[in-house]
Amino acid sequence: MSDSAEVLVIGGGSTGTGIARDLAMRGLDVTLVEKGNLTHGTTGRMHGLLHSGGRYAVSDQASATECIEENRVLRDIAAHCVEMTGGLFVQRPEDDDEYFQEKLEGCRECGIPAEVLSGEEAREMEPYLAKDVKRAIRVPDGAIDPFRLCVANAASAEEHGARIETHAEVIDVLVEDGEVVGLEVKHDSGPGKREHHTPGETEKLYADYVVNASGAWAGQIGDMAGVDVAVRPSKGVMTIMNTRQVDTVVNRCRPKGDADIIVPHETAAILGTTDEEVEDPDEYPEEQWEVDMMIDTLSELVPILQEARTIRSFWGVRPLYEPPGTGTTDPTDITRDFFLLDHEDRDDLPGMTSIVGGKFTTYRMMAEKISDHVCEKFGITAECRTADEPLPGSDDFSILRDYMDEFGLRSPIGRRSVQRLGSRADEVLKTGEPNPVICECEAVTRAEFADAVEGSGSDLNAARIRTRASMGNCQGGFCAHRMANELAPKYEAEVVRTALDELYQERWKGQRHALWGDQLSQAMLNYALHATTMNRDRDPARTGASVDFSAFDGGPTEPGEAGADASAAATDGGSLREDESRQEGR
Amino acid sequence: MPIREDVLVVGGGIAGAASAISAARTGASVRLVTHKKSTLRHASGLIDVLGFLPGSDDPIVYPYSALSDLPDEHPYSVVGENAVREGLDLFDDIAGDAYRGGHTGKNALVATHGGTVKPTARYPKGAAEGLASTNRDTLLVGFRSLPDFDASVACEHLAAAGAPFAVDGVQVDFPGDFRADAKVTRYAKALDRNETVSAFGKERPAREALAEAVRPHLDGAERVGFPALLGDAHADEVRSDLSSELGAAVYEIPMGPPSLPGLRLEDLLFDALDEAGVRISSGNPVVDYTPVEGEHRVKSVTVDRNNQRVPLHADEFVLATGGLVGKGITSDRESVSEPVFDLYVPHPEDRYDWWDQQAFGDHAFAAFGVVPDEELRPTDADGEVEFDNLRAAGGVVGGADFAAEKSGSGVSLATGYLAGRTAGEAI
Amino acid sequence: MSDAESPGDFGTGPTTDYDDDFEPVEVFPEGDLDLRPGADNCYKCTACDTSCPVAEVDDEFPGPKFQGPEQWRLKRKEDVEIDDSIMSCSNCMRCDDACPSSVPLSQMHNEARGEYVENQMDKLSTEYVRNRILANYGTLARVGSKVPRLTNFVMGNSLVQQVNEKLLGITAERDFPEFAQETFREWWRDRGGNKVTSEEKRIAYFHGDYSNYNTPEVAKAMVRVYEAFGYEIAVPEQRCSGTPMFANGMLDDARRGAKVNVRNFAELIEEGYDVIATCTSCSMALRQEYPELFDIDGVEDVSANTYEAMEYLRIHEDLDAAIEDAEVDMGPLAYHAPCHARNQGLDRQAVELFRNLDGVEVEDVGDSCSGISGTYGWKEEKYGKSMEIGEEMFEHMDHAKGEVGMTECPTCSMQMEHGSGYPIKHPMEVLAEAVA
Repeated sequence: MSDSAEVLVIGGGSTGTGIARDLAMRGLDVTLVEKGNLTHGTTGRMHGLLHSGGRYAVSDQASATECIEENRVLRDIAAHCVEMTGGLFVQRPEDDDEYFQEKLEGCRECGIPAEVLSGEEAREMEPYLAKDVKRAIRVPDGAIDPFRLCVANAASAEEHGARIETHAEVIDVLVEDGEVVGLEVKHDSGPGKREHHTPGETEKLYADYVVNASGAWAGQIGDMAGVDVAVRPSKGVMTIMNTRQVDTVVNRCRPKGDADIIVPHETAAILGTTDEEVEDPDEYPEEQWEVDMMIDTLSELVPILQEARTIRSFWGVRPLYEPPGTGTTDPTDITRDFFLLDHEDRDDLPGMTSIVGGKFTTYRMMAEKISDHVCEKFGITAECRTADEPLPGSDDFSILRDYMDEFGLRSPIGRRSVQRLGSRADEVLKTGEPNPVICECEAVTRAEFADAVEGSGSDLNAARIRTRASMGNCQGGFCAHRMANELAPKYEAEVVRTALDELYQERWKGQRHALWGDQLSQAMLNYALHATTMNRDRDPARTGASVDFSAFDGGPTEPGEAGADASAAATDGGSLREDESRQEGR
Repeated sequence: MPIREDVLVVGGGIAGAASAISAARTGASVRLVTHKKSTLRHASGLIDVLGFLPGSDDPIVYPYSALSDLPDEHPYSVVGENAVREGLDLFDDIAGDAYRGGHTGKNALVATHGGTVKPTARYPKGAAEGLASTNRDTLLVGFRSLPDFDASVACEHLAAAGAPFAVDGVQVDFPGDFRADAKVTRYAKALDRNETVSAFGKERPAREALAEAVRPHLDGAERVGFPALLGDAHADEVRSDLSSELGAAVYEIPMGPPSLPGLRLEDLLFDALDEAGVRISSGNPVVDYTPVEGEHRVKSVTVDRNNQRVPLHADEFVLATGGLVGKGITSDRESVSEPVFDLYVPHPEDRYDWWDQQAFGDHAFAAFGVVPDEELRPTDADGEVEFDNLRAAGGVVGGADFAAEKSGSGVSLATGYLAGRTAGEAI
Repeated sequence: MSDAESPGDFGTGPTTDYDDDFEPVEVFPEGDLDLRPGADNCYKCTACDTSCPVAEVDDEFPGPKFQGPEQWRLKRKEDVEIDDSIMSCSNCMRCDDACPSSVPLSQMHNEARGEYVENQMDKLSTEYVRNRILANYGTLARVGSKVPRLTNFVMGNSLVQQVNEKLLGITAERDFPEFAQETFREWWRDRGGNKVTSEEKRIAYFHGDYSNYNTPEVAKAMVRVYEAFGYEIAVPEQRCSGTPMFANGMLDDARRGAKVNVRNFAELIEEGYDVIATCTSCSMALRQEYPELFDIDGVEDVSANTYEAMEYLRIHEDLDAAIEDAEVDMGPLAYHAPCHARNQGLDRQAVELFRNLDGVEVEDVGDSCSGISGTYGWKEEKYGKSMEIGEEMFEHMDHAKGEVGMTECPTCSMQMEHGSGYPIKHPMEVLAEAVA
């Protein structure tokens, strides 16, 4: 075997992009296929917690230790995706003292820096904590943007020669002579970046090896190959608050339970979560009680949540896995560890390995292990470098904050841009063209948005996850059409229109779970703006209604004089008014 | 000494103004109480009466004759066709020369900044040249620093909607050294004052410079459409100057918030209120009321002035506080309510039934509001009138999805006119 | 924000019922409120931007939406930097009046400005020194009014004005307001204080610096009117209301004055007095800004019991009846409603009341801002903007019938006089003619 082995990776989440990057850096020829956008699956539907490991310090110390190690690595290699907020495990008066102690000791055993704070000290850090919190353990939790992280991994993989195909759904696993030899994919548009109105096609991709990193969907890929991968998908709800009620990750310090974490994430705070097994990772109920529980239960820790504005809720599906025969009934008890299933050893089907289970914080380590596994198959000896090499945008960017004036941006806008772009800020923002803000809630400018479109084609949802445009309190009401306009003149109006409809519907989908109070006012305002003022809902170009333009009012006077003098007509409307009731065919 | 009037109107939008003016015209003394700036400045400034029937995609040419096809609970059905016509007559009288469309019972088709067309009954003079129902070749102009409107997208879109004229679009830089995040009010002011700007290598007045920026793209167009920022106080003058510079008709394309046509309409209504002798109290919210003991009547409403409660007395009251956007209707996780009088607002019990899965689907929330009797007095869950001397008008009245129908201003005018008149006549 | 507690307040004893603890903000160190939750109300409608007079003429100012809910929402705990454009806000507070969703815009601006001045402004800079001087006009006035003739002569000297502009950045275009020969307090003391006593009808007068030092005739008119209606008047010790300090981010200076004012007026409120002011910015400060920004004992009482002078009479007396048969010799008056009057819902009261008074004809000169906004128009670099903002008002004044102006606000009155050359009256002076 040569060291340019061809490998196909299925899944554009953190694990898949991590593997693609790792293998590409080791010189392999990698193609990644993903059925939606990057992060389309579980990665795009998480609370964005960069674990310190504290969460597993009692129940699963092996995972906890891995978490703290990877936590340190990611702070290094993905600085622009990480915000080191710190975390608290907060004990309320009714919470168990003994568990608090176990948590503290567990952290120390796993090498997680942990410090006990009094209730007063905790409230000094986080003023909105309930007045009666008893004490807290401070740990190095952080917040991480999974979108940016995956995009950076994919970009790095591409720099190292990988091919990244999003919107390419695997429709078959090609098995020849008892061996996996490739995949058949269906492209949403053509191969490459997604372009609306470009006819799709299917493509057979052959490779030396296939890595199934499709998470909760791994079972479906397994079925195509004729092997059984018993993923147990478990859903969890997350509710997004409009502002950050806390600047530190706040965990409830009790053994287990739903609704026990608040993660400050970018401009928002995310409440999470539940843990409930579902049949199908694509079809599961999203229910009101789940949202209510997030607000009601977490208000015990942070009372103002009860009155605060939520902007949307979403559900993610964990790709839990346990070896056959374990038989755990409660999904919260299923291990968060990951499993590497070599189908050659396991099912006598060479050419493919699935990776299941695991968690976001340790994605890089999982990627390293599976890359080692693949390299070993091909006798490749290249070392893993992903723990040392910064991701694109992540090297040495803090100094750039001083140069914001050069970009002509207001300081908070510049600050947010640099926080998102990291060391790429310079190349992205310096355009010399007018650079108006496209999304005011999240402070995204035209230059940053154009850069995202460059990377993602006409897919506005893909541009959205790269920039956060339309992810603020108006949920696209005031910016979705602006974002669409930015596609012109590169794309024609019909593409712009379809891309806008798709984005607007996606924004609506999550917002529905937050429709009361301020967000319902917002929704009505958005609806009025897009339906009444713009008439997007009954736009003839969309509905196909054929309009007899000449049947309508053409103005009070001859063309060219409408603005001149029509006061006579206007003041005596009654007598001049056509008696339309006699007309037909309105 | 309590402040007292014959008729007290709560709310300063179209419905409140129409109520107050029509009540004043019956000879009653009228006070209008308004909290913050109305939602008029969010809207396009167009006066829509009825553009589409529920569930239909066909734009209506004759809105009055379509009224009879509306369901019984629709506010138009409640007030009847005459009230709709008279409400529009009231508007025409108030607006005078500032609006067009009163010469006919037909709708006009106006191009929106979303690039499409929509049927409307009255349009500002400044938009008149832009009617999509007339076929003159058109140039659309967008500004690079104004991402809300892209002329090239809009012109292709108009063509796709079947517009019967040649239309071209161009994006230009607004002349002068404006910041990329300048407000439309800033551009409007610059044109209003015809500020000297530096463009094309020399200093010159803003209107001239703007014409200069557009001229090379004219290519025989008979009319030129700009996003609605062509001046504020001196908008007529700005348009007319641009028009003579360009040798083509000039018009404005109504925009969403911030909407200069909406602001101009607000000014027009408040001038009319002044002229009608209506007293206006602004800046503080009405938060509560006191009933007449033992009767189904309102004695006074309570204004909250920095935690101090000031009662305002009247014989008749009109509630025109708006819908969900104007906060005349509010909601929490459990229910939907009317916050001042706690009036009955029907709504599905489960909040997941308040909306449709599709962004432009049939949303229950869009029709949330109080249920009026034929005199527009809100009724309770049993259909009984809640207060004999309280009427409702505008967005606070439920039963219609104005956004889908394009009927918001018309409903406000019809219900406002009728509520004000009947309140005044009841004195 | 009004229930803000001082930083040491947490942990004063265990509470088990967290339901009671929903105050929006607390435990932040004084002057460092976290207003991010206020951003929840914003639905981006831009009503605030469309009502901002500065954003209309100033290319450096991004408007209240950006300076308010957007900047607050984008803030993380460690982000201390405030965009310097906050110093271009004139604190007219029209955005408060506009917001249909009750975002605490001016409070956000005040906080941001305070933080900016505290953390980012060079305390040795001319700008800081100049702002400090302008904001503390009362201190200057206290000294200057001791020798009013000399001060008026010196400040009126064009050489001094040039020096002020060059050294301090105070525009030479404006004439300093003249000091009265006798301050209101001197007059009040010399007349022996209140002439009317009443158990029921008592008001405590907040005259502010300007009515005291510069226009005691307004204060005296108020006294005549209130005594005519049988009110006992108290004139307690007081400091500047703080309006010019808020506008310049000098929150510490403002807090010092507020403590004195709240203490002295709260005492009187307990004795049955209500507080009235003839300056709408002063009444605004006591009513709205004090409880928003300061945690002082009694601040809520003062806020709830403060009124503008005419507003109070309209609520408690039958003013319409009182002027019904009166006649004054005033002729047409060009009235401008100050932004801060607008914000309190007082912008129409003078027009409405005097509609029925014979001998005067009040014409509203439009709803634009006068442009001076307290100290804003005094700054050399803002003077031009200030006059641009005022242009619409000047135009309307020019077209108005009368050649006398009327307004409640002392600095608006300077601007009106400066732009039109008209003498300017206060509504209390008109009312005094009619009823006293």
